[in-house]
Amino acid sequence: MDMNEKPKVGEKIEDQKPQEVPEVEAPKLPDTKEGKLVAEVLEKAPYAEGNVRRERRVEFKVPADRIKEFLELASEKFEMLIQISVVDWLKEGEFELVYQLWSVSESVHAFVRTRIPRENAKMPTVMDIWPVAETYEREAHEFFGIVFEGNPRLGPFILEPREYEKHPFRKDFNTLGYVKTIYGEDFDRYDESKTNYVI
Amino acid sequence: MSERKNDDFISYELQEFKLFEPLFRWARKKSLWIVAFCTGCGGIEMPPLATARYDFERFGIMPNPAPRMGDLFLITGYVTPKTLKRIIITYEMMQDPKYVLIHGSCPINGGVYWDSYNVVKQFDKYLPVDVAIAGCMPRPEAVMDGIMEIMRKIEDGTADGWKRYRENYEYYRKNQDELFGEGWREKDARRWLAWI
Ligand code: SF4
Repeated sequence: MDMNEKPKVGEKIEDQKPQEVPEVEAPKLPDTKEGKLVAEVLEKAPYAEGNVRRERRVEFKVPADRIKEFLELASEKFEMLIQISVVDWLKEGEFELVYQLWSVSESVHAFVRTRIPRENAKMPTVMDIWPVAETYEREAHEFFGIVFEGNPRLGPFILEPREYEKHPFRKDFNTLGYVKTIYGEDFDRYDESKTNYVI
Repeated sequence: MSERKNDDFISYELQEFKLFEPLFRWARKKSLWIVAFCTGCGGIEMPPLATARYDFERFGIMPNPAPRMGDLFLITGYVTPKTLKRIIITYEMMQDPKYVLIHGSCPINGGVYWDSYNVVKQFDKYLPVDVAIAGCMPRPEAVMDGIMEIMRKIEDGTADGWKRYRENYEYYRKNQDELFGEGWREKDARRWLAWI
């Protein structure tokens, strides 16, 4: 029995290999509602990249100069803006903006990613597409210092003015140094020798 | 005016009623009204504390929305500079005698937010504290224990934070001004005037 089984298993693997290779070389969008949705959007926006992450989650990558055009197009399918989140890639000198969209009609969540340089970061506002973007843009502006051109209410919002100047969510913001200057050093948590360490 | 002795708990205001002092202390201890201003995570310990299981009303403790009528101020968790401004204003609105109880390690020394840019590390630099409960976060039993401790302290007259605040006002004021900048009260008041 053993002698017979072993070659069979080997044969099966050999059979599968040629089938897998073309899939890896040319990733196709799956034949699901997510795949169709992505294909539909990409057809109108060939400059973008798109793929399906998993069920109900799709992803687009768009160059920064065409983001507004793309979002306007995508807003036909994705009616709702859930959030604008920012990732600080310090070593690459870039901010990554992730516009999270939700399609009410299809129940699909989309990430639209774009990268902009960290120095004098600027983006066009998307308030005219989704008015709710005002709040998210103010927040991103406050914590990372990105300027959204066309948003009339950029300025101190959640943070105290002193924190606002420093943009505390940037990776190069020295939190401990800031804490020491603002809240004082007379406090055993900062004991570097850890003789009086609390937690 | 005659010379006033500040070292006694009640006589500060009611010298002529000194005879009834023990009675007043007992009454104060038995009718603590909490200022319902829950900051931070500890606020979530209040519902179990107030409802059937721990039911703090059996001790005569009541949550109370008006700071002018409250006398126990619970600081239930981390305090940010922005909240601290409101806490200080609320505390100053409260009538004497008033007691402060802080929950958890955050107000004591920053807790898990010890290196966060917007959590106040030592609450007792800005307002006097009567009882501090350690833990992150303290269970309702611990909070009850803290309240019992406050009751005991009221009875023997050692819960004197409100008095310390008067006596060392310069110290507290200095620390507050260092954190918020001079003139923060006026600036804040001006900001909210439009809504009043
Ligand atoms: S001590 Fe723990 S539970 Fe309390 S406020 Fe801090 S993090 Fe929250």
